[in-house]
Amino acid sequence: MTAPTDTSAPVAGIPATGAARQLLRRLRGRPAAVVSAGVLLLLVLLALAAPLFAALEGQDPYAYHDDLVDSARGGVPYGSFGGVSADHWLGVEPGTGRDLFARLLHGARVSLLVAVGATAVQVLIGVLVGLAAGLGSRWADGILSRITDVLVALPMLVLAIALTAVVPRDFPRPLLLILVIGLLGWAGTSRIVRAQTLTLKSLDFVAASRLAGSGRWRTARRELLPALAAPVITYAAISVPTNMVVEAALSFLGVGVTPPTPSWGQMLSTAQTWFRADPAYVLLPAGLLFVTVLAFTVLGDAVRTALDPREASRLRVGTRKETSR
Amino acid sequence: MRQSSVISRRVAAAAVSLVLATGAAACAGPEDTGAKGGASAGKGAAGGPQKGGTLTVLNSEAQTDFDPARLYTSGGGNVPSLVFRTLTTRNREAGAAGSKVVPDLATDLGRPNKDATEWTYTLKEGLKFEDGTPITSADVKYGIERSFAAELSGGAPYLRDWLVGGDTYEGPYKDKKGLASVVTPDDRTIVFKLKKPEGEFPFVATQTQFAPVPRAKDTGAKYEEHPVSSGPYKVVKNENDGERLVLERNEHWDPKTDEERKAYPDRIDVKAGLDEAVINQRLATSSRSDAAAVTTDTNLGPAELAQIGSDKALAARVGTGRFGFTNYIAFNPKVKPFDNPKVRQAISYAVNRTSVVNAAGGSALAEPATTFLPEQKSFGFTPYDHFPAGKTGDPEKAKALLKEAGFPNGLTVTLLHSTAQNRTTSPEIATAVQEALGKAGITVKLDGQEPNSFNEKRWSVKDAPGFFLSRWGADWPAGGPFLAPIFDGRQIVTNGSNYNHAQLNDPAVNKEIDEINKLTDLQAAAVRWGALDKKIGAQALDVPLFHPVYKRLVGKDIKNVVISDWTGVLDISQVSVK
Repeated sequence: MTAPTDTSAPVAGIPATGAARQLLRRLRGRPAAVVSAGVLLLLVLLALAAPLFAALEGQDPYAYHDDLVDSARGGVPYGSFGGVSADHWLGVEPGTGRDLFARLLHGARVSLLVAVGATAVQVLIGVLVGLAAGLGSRWADGILSRITDVLVALPMLVLAIALTAVVPRDFPRPLLLILVIGLLGWAGTSRIVRAQTLTLKSLDFVAASRLAGSGRWRTARRELLPALAAPVITYAAISVPTNMVVEAALSFLGVGVTPPTPSWGQMLSTAQTWFRADPAYVLLPAGLLFVTVLAFTVLGDAVRTALDPREASRLRVGTRKETSR
Repeated sequence: MRQSSVISRRVAAAAVSLVLATGAAACAGPEDTGAKGGASAGKGAAGGPQKGGTLTVLNSEAQTDFDPARLYTSGGGNVPSLVFRTLTTRNREAGAAGSKVVPDLATDLGRPNKDATEWTYTLKEGLKFEDGTPITSADVKYGIERSFAAELSGGAPYLRDWLVGGDTYEGPYKDKKGLASVVTPDDRTIVFKLKKPEGEFPFVATQTQFAPVPRAKDTGAKYEEHPVSSGPYKVVKNENDGERLVLERNEHWDPKTDEERKAYPDRIDVKAGLDEAVINQRLATSSRSDAAAVTTDTNLGPAELAQIGSDKALAARVGTGRFGFTNYIAFNPKVKPFDNPKVRQAISYAVNRTSVVNAAGGSALAEPATTFLPEQKSFGFTPYDHFPAGKTGDPEKAKALLKEAGFPNGLTVTLLHSTAQNRTTSPEIATAVQEALGKAGITVKLDGQEPNSFNEKRWSVKDAPGFFLSRWGADWPAGGPFLAPIFDGRQIVTNGSNYNHAQLNDPAVNKEIDEINKLTDLQAAAVRWGALDKKIGAQALDVPLFHPVYKRLVGKDIKNVVISDWTGVLDISQVSVK
């Protein structure tokens, strides 16, 4: 996006110069987007500084506290709200007495890392495959599109379970989850990129670039990629929460992160039976997951709107038909 | 005694699941039996038990096997024992009395010859099948022979291992001559000839393979759709491979010949395939037909227990029982560093049984174990604690031992466990062990595997890791089926499922096992099993972690809840709904 031609501006909606700045300006005008971004920023900060905050509380996410749970009653924490106290700000886990605040923060690391990492992998593969399909020969398009179709049709969760089960236990689990979710979930991005490429390909500014002597690769890089940024960023923003839920599901099914490493999904999985006896234990990870997913979704929606060419152009006349062709 | 892999594979799993699925437990009235292993009782509804009504059974697992040849049960099972009578059966009483074996079809527990290699039984008079034909010793013999047929596999391996010629006999469909080591001199007498002395034979005779099967009615693999009843109920409906069963009274069952089964309800309606949480919720709510409902396979979990804790009325409907079962850490001394007894001892000292028990569901659902044998007299329980870890572990002692063993800076080991959510070999237990060992400088890496590959690994002589979670349940409440498969060197199975995890092959231990098997005085045998357990325990070949406790709800109209130490769960043949 270093030196884009002005020709791309009317179609893609954003002149790439200062595109990011413009996007930021537009997002700033939306309170929902600002709040979402703030929440996400806070979460990332908390996750990054998890050991620091846990130390501030004086707790370790892995230390057992047998004296804080009522062994005779199934291991439910003593005290109210799941054992909230000055030492344990959000209470303790039933059965083990491990500190929930520390576990939630450490869990955020895994959940956020996996969700964002997997999305990055999905975008990378999706854009490459989509571009190749859109620009390549009929044969290449046919093969790549069929592969994409198959991937869409496959039940992702089942495959992910199978894949995570066969990989040796020594392989770092968060990286494995990123790879598995990323490698199985790029089909959506690739379809959008292909469709968009096919549309863009026939437009004048791309044709002009080709006539001016640019090769396929150069055209893709100089003309198509900037124009694809809007839909791809939008789709990625919506994919993050989806991937977070997939990670939760995999950990929930016992093929995610290895215990005792906490993740929100893994916490939810052990919490599921406790919803009546110790509601706090279920509500904390569930609530955090909910807030994060909501924040990502709202932000994703805001980004989509902000990047929408119809929004971008003050002159709304005439742009609608072109983009929807 | 588990040799073939197919059969033996089922043992450990079956010992847990099937025994419980088909097992029974009881709690009779408000009196406390006092004994540690005794059952305390959910009181249930007031008033004496009366005949009549329909008993609903809400289960999670369908009764997919209903052929007496294929069932793997302890003491004849729970629902199956309503339909199948066996030569002997478990005493249907609460607590320790319930771990005794008593006569059922036979007049006594069997008369052994001098060295307990030949057992003779006489059938009671007036025994009839559901169609009114008399039950003869030939029917019992035929039932046993069927269990040798390959298509009807699934039962316990004892008959195959013990009977003369049992290892080569292929069942009545292939071999018309029959099994020569089971002799029926007349219609009421049956004699078993064994390869070696087996003092605990009367316990084996409680299994459903000892139920009579009329040869004329045998339909092979289809027999389970309508097994011919010898007990108080007959099967009138079996839908979806045991998902829905309806049992009604067998008019030809004579209560005068059966002192064990009370058979109060007129009808038993089994509805299986339900979610466990749903079962417990329905029993707790007890609306309409659920008021007269029990479950024969669903325990209360820790969260449900926490929930019930505050509700006195509900707590009164919880039956508590103990089934002979031990969860433990197994070592394979063929793998370093577990060849070093000091390392094994260090781990024994470091274990924190309080957090392990909490991980297993808390003190109401698990009791800390320092012995391999369960804490019941019938097993020969002899208390010992060779490596006293106290309530929460002794990391200092463990560190000292590690230093002596040549690991002054601690060591790193990998613990194999399963990912099943069973709170016995599951991640919760593994992490509790990991936490405690960490304090002693032992870094534990966890290797969680899905249940099938977990079992394949731990039961393999070749691939078994050095350090893993395991468990063992009793086929009957005595020391034999508890200690022999785990510590008898001749039961190391190299090409099948091996339960002798430590691969112990100690001539002295083997000899003692043979000696005890000769005893027909079960109490004397129990004492010696206990002494043997204590002796083997000193070698730190395993770390006993806990014995589970079973808690189950019954519907609000249920009376006469009897929970024995044999099965640890309610005995369905004693329940009344009126």
